[in-house]
Amino acid sequence: MIEINGMKFPLDRKYYTKNGAHLWLKLEKDSIKIGMDAFAAMMTGIISFITVNKKAAKSGESIGSFESAKYISKLYSPVSGKIIEINDNVLKDPSKINKNPYISWIFKIEPDDKKNKSKFIIEDKDKISNWITEEIKKLEIK
Amino acid sequence: MKYFNLGELNWKQTQLIYHALAYKNIESLVLNSPKESFMCVGLPQNPQDEIDINYCKKNNIGIFRREIGGGTVLLDNNQLFYNLIVNRNNPIVPHFPERFFKKFLQPVVQTYHEIGISAEFRPLCDLIVNEKKISGNGGGEIGECKVLAGNLLLDFNYEGMARAISSPDSLRGKFLELMRNNITTVKKELNIIPKKEEICSTLVRKFEDFIGTFTKGKLDTEITKKMSELDKLYSSDKWLYQRGTNQIGREIKVREGVFLFHKSFGTKEGNEGITCEIEKNLIKKVTFTNEYLLSNIDKKQFKEKLVGLKYDRNILSNKILELIKKMEL
Repeated sequence: MIEINGMKFPLDRKYYTKNGAHLWLKLEKDSIKIGMDAFAAMMTGIISFITVNKKAAKSGESIGSFESAKYISKLYSPVSGKIIEINDNVLKDPSKINKNPYISWIFKIEPDDKKNKSKFIIEDKDKISNWITEEIKKLEIK
Repeated sequence: MKYFNLGELNWKQTQLIYHALAYKNIESLVLNSPKESFMCVGLPQNPQDEIDINYCKKNNIGIFRREIGGGTVLLDNNQLFYNLIVNRNNPIVPHFPERFFKKFLQPVVQTYHEIGISAEFRPLCDLIVNEKKISGNGGGEIGECKVLAGNLLLDFNYEGMARAISSPDSLRGKFLELMRNNITTVKKELNIIPKKEEICSTLVRKFEDFIGTFTKGKLDTEITKKMSELDKLYSSDKWLYQRGTNQIGREIKVREGVFLFHKSFGTKEGNEGITCEIEKNLIKKVTFTNEYLLSNIDKKQFKEKLVGLKYDRNILSNKILELIKKMEL
């Protein structure tokens, strides 16, 4: 586990870094659980609505959207594949993501390619640490 | 970046324009007002839950479901709309909502200051004068762009808004009262309404000071074609009445932190409507629709257990259910 500025990043999963998406990926037997990381949960504001409206996803493409702070953001899929399950508990009360981002997974995907190689998916402790530090710096600039 | 100062438009065009520009990835500032009144809901809302559709149809009030966030609102000619459309990868654009609103609403705050109104930004995205809202805003991602959409309230039709929302009749009066206490207008603050053109010039200048010089945009066929294409989609029942997540109870928002929450609860004696007034995100007052129901519970004690609690519609609903169950025993 890494902790930066009070935000925790468990090392039992990977992180998707493209365009500030801040998603985590946890590998299961034949599928991957996907949710938002602590940085997104803290910075995005209370999530009041979330929807996943596609059954198949392409890496980096929008598969739904969520509302926080009267702002609609797109929800991206970090990998290509078939969306096999959506977490109804989180759809009903999306603020669970803010309260406990690592339990509140959003969707489960059966990936086309199980290796999930992408320059935007990281798992190394130092890489995660550097990425979050850079993200915090960006916030200070903007 | 371009600016489109479009004057008065057909109500639907005021919404189609910023969606089309965002889908066409044209970074721009758009200013306009609608010729007619209409109701506008945010992406997660279903007009069937939010709006008295029959009333709107009978009174020729249009309904639009936008692709961005924010609440249900009556929009009309006494409001001046601004839309800022910026590419999501533009380095000036903050990624997270609160910072996005705080940054890009600064030119609007300064415009209010220049016309003599001391408005200030209040998170999430309200502009406030003496604790009253004077501008409503929403935002979101459309295509490759991030969009800010908001209005300067030159005047406001409080009664029209209270009538056009979907609400138990018992709530309309309370909603009207809360709006009057929590929403102000340029007219109320200055006793006059400056000319829209003058306000538009100030808005453009303040946004230019903040972002850089604009060039005048023209509504070419590429943009109008996209608007027509989107019009077909947004006018379809499939889009308009698409159901989002089922929400618990009816929440009517007046401004940030000020709400009415109403829900009907099953009791041993029948259904009882319970209404909560929320101020500063705290439950301030609790009322029962049928005072004669729940005859075997101490209503004063019931209310006392809710007043002062932090408002969260899920938690509140569960708490009420729990109290009914416990006190009915």
